[in-house]
Amino acid sequence: MIYDVAVVGCGPSGMAAAVKLKNFGLSVLLVDEQPAPGGQIWRGIERNASIMSSASLSALGADYQAGMSSVREFRAANVDYLPSTQVWQIEGDWTLFLTSAGRARRISARAVLLATGAQERPAPFAGWTLPGVMTVGAAQILMKSGDMLPKGRIWIAGSGPLPLLYATQLLKRGKSISGYLDTSPGLDFSAIGKLVGGWRNVPQLIKGIGWQWGMRRKNLLHWKVQGLAAQGNERLEHISWMENSELKSAAADVLLVHEGVVPRIHETLALGCEHRWNDAQRYLAPALSKMRETSRIGLFVAGDAGGIGGWVAAEASGEIAAIGIAARLGAISDVDGIIRQAHLRQRQARALALRPFLDAVYPPPRHDIEGDVMVCRCEEVTASTVKTAADYSGPDMNAVKAATRCGMGPCQGRQCGYTVQSIISKASGQSPEKLGFYNIRPPFKPVTLGELALMEAGNMPN
Amino acid sequence: MPAYQRLTRQSIDLWPEFMAELYDHSGSVNVNYDRKGGLVLCLGEKAFEERRALNAQLAEQLRNSDNLDQDLATEMLDRRQLQSLMPNLRLGSEIVGASYCSSDGHANPLYLLAALHAAVRRLGGELLSEHRVETIRRNDGSFVVETEQRHFRASRVVIAAGISSGKLAKQVGLEAPIRPQRGQILVTERVQPLLPLPCSGLRQTTEGTIMIGATHEDVGEDSSTTTEASISLAAKAVRIAPDLAQLRLVRHWSGLRIMSPDGFPIYTESEEFPGAFVVTCHSGVTLAAVHAHVIAASIVRGTFSSDTGPFSHRRFHVNAAA
Repeated sequence: MIYDVAVVGCGPSGMAAAVKLKNFGLSVLLVDEQPAPGGQIWRGIERNASIMSSASLSALGADYQAGMSSVREFRAANVDYLPSTQVWQIEGDWTLFLTSAGRARRISARAVLLATGAQERPAPFAGWTLPGVMTVGAAQILMKSGDMLPKGRIWIAGSGPLPLLYATQLLKRGKSISGYLDTSPGLDFSAIGKLVGGWRNVPQLIKGIGWQWGMRRKNLLHWKVQGLAAQGNERLEHISWMENSELKSAAADVLLVHEGVVPRIHETLALGCEHRWNDAQRYLAPALSKMRETSRIGLFVAGDAGGIGGWVAAEASGEIAAIGIAARLGAISDVDGIIRQAHLRQRQARALALRPFLDAVYPPPRHDIEGDVMVCRCEEVTASTVKTAADYSGPDMNAVKAATRCGMGPCQGRQCGYTVQSIISKASGQSPEKLGFYNIRPPFKPVTLGELALMEAGNMPN
Repeated sequence: MPAYQRLTRQSIDLWPEFMAELYDHSGSVNVNYDRKGGLVLCLGEKAFEERRALNAQLAEQLRNSDNLDQDLATEMLDRRQLQSLMPNLRLGSEIVGASYCSSDGHANPLYLLAALHAAVRRLGGELLSEHRVETIRRNDGSFVVETEQRHFRASRVVIAAGISSGKLAKQVGLEAPIRPQRGQILVTERVQPLLPLPCSGLRQTTEGTIMIGATHEDVGEDSSTTTEASISLAAKAVRIAPDLAQLRLVRHWSGLRIMSPDGFPIYTESEEFPGAFVVTCHSGVTLAAVHAHVIAASIVRGTFSSDTGPFSHRRFHVNAAA
């Protein structure tokens, strides 16, 4: 069977789009890596809502609990849904290659919506590969999917709303935190200037201030931290940092780091879509039409995969994309009327109102990544190796990849791409926008040779 | 083409010296060279006999064409001999044996490229990326090479521009009828050493990844990958070694081979504009040593045409006339 639409990703935007597409009378298949709906933000929500104590559940925050109604609506729409399934390749007009439970297969669709979300921005520093150091996002996944909390002396370092939220969640669960290192440069006048727009979304702003205030009250905050480093023999033992031009250090068992999130762009890069450089947040995102179509007809992107906006904006963008797809497939004609009726543009604008403020308060880190700092964990490539390769082979992401293997490992450059870009940019003076990103090769996710071989003609049905 | 076999042989012999020189000039880039021989696996008795006959034919050609005292040193191995050569690899049931060539070697082409880049710069050369050459013309007794950004003047110009060589060669009175041929290749995750020798398109890098190649497709300048190809390459690999089925594919890519009409290199100098050369081939790794030591030296000495006669572009005109 050929589906009208294949949706990839079961987070806020994917679910919102799938429900709306189904309501337009289109046949929809939703494919997702996770075993249950919710994406990263609402990971494990069905399970947690049924088994967690109400105190633990409320500690996860109002945003988390808000996901329950979206997930219920998605379940009620009875969309064809493939959980625990990875999309490892997409070919034009459109064939999706999937794998689940060790078995690969292909499906066809007339249009594709990528609702694949975001990933944490890689931000390497000295010692970041030591056991005991992990990202806030990974720690939060453990909290949501297994109710697992870190043990020992816990330090959180980074910038942005997520580490503040996670710290608040830990404190509400009765965990103590040894300290919070805020690596953002601090509130400045340019950020305050952007508050005017921010006030249009008062609940969001109050929530943000609430997180900060909760932390400050407990006297855990260290401001304008620079030069974070982790030390230890077999695992993390100490951390050190610069604060007010003073070198400080502390014993630590767990260090959780986070420097913001960036859109997941491997699929759109591999499919040759046009991308734009967001200079404020220093990431690439696919160029999208008002209806969220990429430069390739029939390929749409919703949610954070098209640019970071958070879950409320993601839901609105999912609905907009659904309308765009339905129009592209000829299922609806009155696009503007439907958008007006659902107040989609207003909902989107309101959800995004705080974004310029957040971008100004939490700029991506700009410090130099140098010397022995590991840049590519998969292939164990250091910053100095990358710089030498750029000097010899030229300011080119793919030349550096070829010379160093940086970006050739199982993560396909997801963990090193922007770091390598920044090192080459600083060494050569070439702008990150001009440098672009690695050529992305299939598969998007590893698939075994055995699974591929079984797809040979005659070996298996489609 | 016996001249090509001779050239290949010459390059194989020059490789150790070339590599040592490159190691010094590049500031110690290791290109992971070794020369333990290579295998062509035979699936089925028929393939085995065909390969044996082909080897005999090639040896015969070489003996007749000149008096090389060494042949290509190929021998046929049965399944048991093959297995003892690769003790860690469980062979597929169809494998009857293999042809073994002791002179085959292996180097990492990406590291070779990086080493050459580094050596050119360290020897004082200049590499300009993102300078697409638009025109090459003769002016006042020298060549002017024009890019969008800058013009360069030189007494000699070597065109080694891959797929674009044909277009540039025309501007200096040369025909280099190059066509692209797509090759797709799979790369697996890293594993313990399984393949001590390259065999039938499978080879294991020093890092432990296994490369599975390659397709030969005439699709113009389309360098995209197809899942159809990854499926057939994976199926081939699993037929050769069933345990490879468990390995994860981490990268699937394609590139364009630079093919002349007969598949052999083109080394030629313009008669109309002496000092303009075309140097192009699709086996730039094997032939790297001969390019560095013989071709470059001939260009510098001005003895180019006599040294590279059989590889002149003029052979294509002869064929067309015949």
